[in-house]
Amino acid sequence: MAKHTVRLNVNGKDHALIVDSTDRLLDVLRDRLNLKGVKEGCGTGDCGACTVIMDGQLVNSCLVLAVQARDKRITTIEGVGTREKPHPVQKAMMKYNAAQCGFCIPAMVLAGKNLLDHNPTPSKQEIKESISGVLCRCTGYYKLITAIQEAAKEMVGVRA
Amino acid sequence: MTKAELVQKLREADSFVVVGKSVQRLDALDKVLGVPLYTSDLVPKDALSVKVVRSTVAHALIKRIDTEPAKRMLGVSVVLTARDIPGLNEAFALLPDRPLLANGKVRCQGEAIAIVAAQDPQVAEDAADRVAVEYESLPSVFSPVEAMKPDSIRVHDTGNVAKYLKVRKGDVKEGFRQAEVIIENTYKTQFQDPVPMEPEVGMAWVERDGTVTCVGSMQTPYYVQTGVAKVLGVSPDKVRVIQATTGGAFGPKSDEMPVDTCALSALVAQKMGKPAILAYTRQESMIARTKRHPFVITLKTGAMNDGRLIASEALVVSDTGAYASLGPLVIIRACFHATGPYVIPHVKTDAYCMYTNNTMAGSFRGFGSPQVHFAAECQMDELAKKLDVDPLDLRLKNMLRPGTLTATSQIVDDACGLEECTKRAIEASDWYAKRAEFGRDQGVFRRGIGIALMYHGNSLGPEGNDYAYVHLLVKPDARVVLRTALTEYGTGAVSGLAQIAAETLGLPIDLFELDRPDTASCRETGPTVASRVIVIGGRAAQLAALKVREKILNVASELLQCDHSNLSIKNGIIHHPHHPRRTITFQNAVEECYKKNVSLNETGFYSAPKCEFENENSQGTTYLQYTYGAVVAEIQVDTELGIVNPLKITAAYDAGRAINPLSVEGQIEGGTIQALGYGLTEQLIHVDGIVANPTLGDYYIPTSLDIPEIQTIIVEYPGAVGPFGAKAMGEPPVDLPAAALANAIAHATGSRVFELPLTAERVLFAAKKGRP
Repeated sequence: MAKHTVRLNVNGKDHALIVDSTDRLLDVLRDRLNLKGVKEGCGTGDCGACTVIMDGQLVNSCLVLAVQARDKRITTIEGVGTREKPHPVQKAMMKYNAAQCGFCIPAMVLAGKNLLDHNPTPSKQEIKESISGVLCRCTGYYKLITAIQEAAKEMVGVRA
Repeated sequence: MTKAELVQKLREADSFVVVGKSVQRLDALDKVLGVPLYTSDLVPKDALSVKVVRSTVAHALIKRIDTEPAKRMLGVSVVLTARDIPGLNEAFALLPDRPLLANGKVRCQGEAIAIVAAQDPQVAEDAADRVAVEYESLPSVFSPVEAMKPDSIRVHDTGNVAKYLKVRKGDVKEGFRQAEVIIENTYKTQFQDPVPMEPEVGMAWVERDGTVTCVGSMQTPYYVQTGVAKVLGVSPDKVRVIQATTGGAFGPKSDEMPVDTCALSALVAQKMGKPAILAYTRQESMIARTKRHPFVITLKTGAMNDGRLIASEALVVSDTGAYASLGPLVIIRACFHATGPYVIPHVKTDAYCMYTNNTMAGSFRGFGSPQVHFAAECQMDELAKKLDVDPLDLRLKNMLRPGTLTATSQIVDDACGLEECTKRAIEASDWYAKRAEFGRDQGVFRRGIGIALMYHGNSLGPEGNDYAYVHLLVKPDARVVLRTALTEYGTGAVSGLAQIAAETLGLPIDLFELDRPDTASCRETGPTVASRVIVIGGRAAQLAALKVREKILNVASELLQCDHSNLSIKNGIIHHPHHPRRTITFQNAVEECYKKNVSLNETGFYSAPKCEFENENSQGTTYLQYTYGAVVAEIQVDTELGIVNPLKITAAYDAGRAINPLSVEGQIEGGTIQALGYGLTEQLIHVDGIVANPTLGDYYIPTSLDIPEIQTIIVEYPGAVGPFGAKAMGEPPVDLPAAALANAIAHATGSRVFELPLTAERVLFAAKKGRP
């Protein structure tokens, strides 16, 4: 199988990796870079658990080949917030107990963050749309939506 | 104060410090940071990947399994079949019906026949494809009603009835003789896949001393221990099972599925001396794992002209697929709840759990309750229509209230908030106004509003021994570790145990930590099912906390030179009520305990009283307490396309005591939406036993764009068993929404859909019939 050298930036750090033509970005992130917060829920692009941000856009990393991520900037959950200073979306999700089983949460946090990066004052409908590619079976989405709404308010306050 | 008095005081306390407060879950920060490790995040580098060869047919003899082509493939470590199992080839939970690997015969699609292991998962998958299985097809039965006929194809030699039971109350013949109005209808429900976001996964390795360690996504580690030991032919103490962070469960991870993943991994690990992991693909999971039983329910209901219910006759038939799993228990709950939450003097219910050649059904949140509530609550609306009364008024007339009798002649105790739930739900939804307003809708888009009521027997009742162990360890730094084999898989219930212990100990919740459920460090504690963590586990947590409290206060009383019964702990401070200066911190007392070698490692054990009822006719106390609820659904139907747009759900539940209101809301919201899918879109379609839509692209669960407005209401009628009066709130929220939606659609279109899901096609045909 053909080998390729791929340079990509993940969570602010540059990497140069040799990958196969068929390697999925999902596996490269999980197995090569040990970013286990990226989850696989179906492998067919239906559930969105493997969502990462690639050059400012949400992608299902199970549907992106590693070679397609060449020269891209990738953000995974490991690049968002810290124990000491969680991202406002994370803080609000904690406040509302919006994480139940937690399997979709990395993707939900990234979807919420990516929305607010581009649209600091989203409507409720825009929030619903922003997370609609990620399935959650525990929460019914309500607490997630409320949390993103609250994070938006907090972030606008910070900016002002 | 004696312990019993203290518990009583705690139950009655109306100003809790920790309980009843919307506190953050203990795992909240970890989860939003994405750091919890699920099983697939823990795979050692040298692990072998296991793939399963599964039956592609519904019913056949296996003439030959040719494993040679797979074995010859480069990179394949091992191929195993039933012959290679050192212990018992058994993987059933209740009835001795299911082998771990098929033995000469398959009875449904997806049955495991052989396993292949390789370092490279892709190689393992390719090799599994090359295992050739030669079948000799057998005639099949796919309908549970067909399976009841004496001349039906037999799925098992023992016959097709996996379980039969009945309820007999009063004299049903006499009841129908007196009845002035009688209606009879048949309702059908579908296979629903639970779709936890993490599919089934298990891993195993062999320790140097020969013991086997299993790590997996599961609800009940001790079931896995027993199951794996049986397959390996070793005693259970040679198998250690640890629950990894589990990405949703909803029932199937309680019974047989985690035994499959861990036992098959363990077979490979034992044979090859390397760690092995079996992770189901989504498709594999949707075919092979247990799902919600389809039911066929025929209800005949008799009433007086004034609306009083007088007689109910029900035939409840479930399709458990080729293997029983927990079907024989599911049918018990279905049978006992089949009339809905109403007073009916004469009841006759016959309930059958049937084998067919469909894929296996089993434990799933609600456990038979959503199916019978769908039927019972649609039936109430049909009766209201026949009597020409408001369906709400009919319910108010007949609903269970304190002092009335259930279908099993259990006396309803004072902890019955059904009427308040109903009143709060109709007030919040403005029922009467909307019922009139929506009824006047003309044209293509028509709105409807429907209601449904429920009761849900808490915990196991007749389904098993109901007990729990919870361990508490206070560390030298005064942090408290809570450990139990009751598992966390999303609900937050184990955090609720910490809240209960914190309340009992007078400590802030943030002093608590949760340990991983592990058979090496936690007592066997029964299954984590039936919403029993809070109700039963909560009592054990309370008892463990009382023991710790006693020891701490003993030591503190010496330091403060007073009788320990005078002391109390509040927010981590131990003080004497009449001597404000006689105060020490909890931390000081803990330090003193460590100095004096007073162990602060305590175990609480609680065992619920047995449910006393007569088996023949199922009369008596079937459950120790009940959760009650009322759901109002508002929808809009496109009468040209049949598409249903859910507008608003109002959901009121009697939670007894909401230990963590925020978590209870989370359960109501999540359960409502899982049930919205059950009502409107979800259906695992079987075509001659073969699953036609085993992907999340073809099997549609609700997304964030599909959810209606929701209003949750919690009322509290403290129950007799749960800690502080808490009732089960994990499962009940899935019982009603499908029924409320069906009733709302019938209101909008004037005609009923008798079968779930309420697809556009079915709604369209009904609408055309209703308003030509």
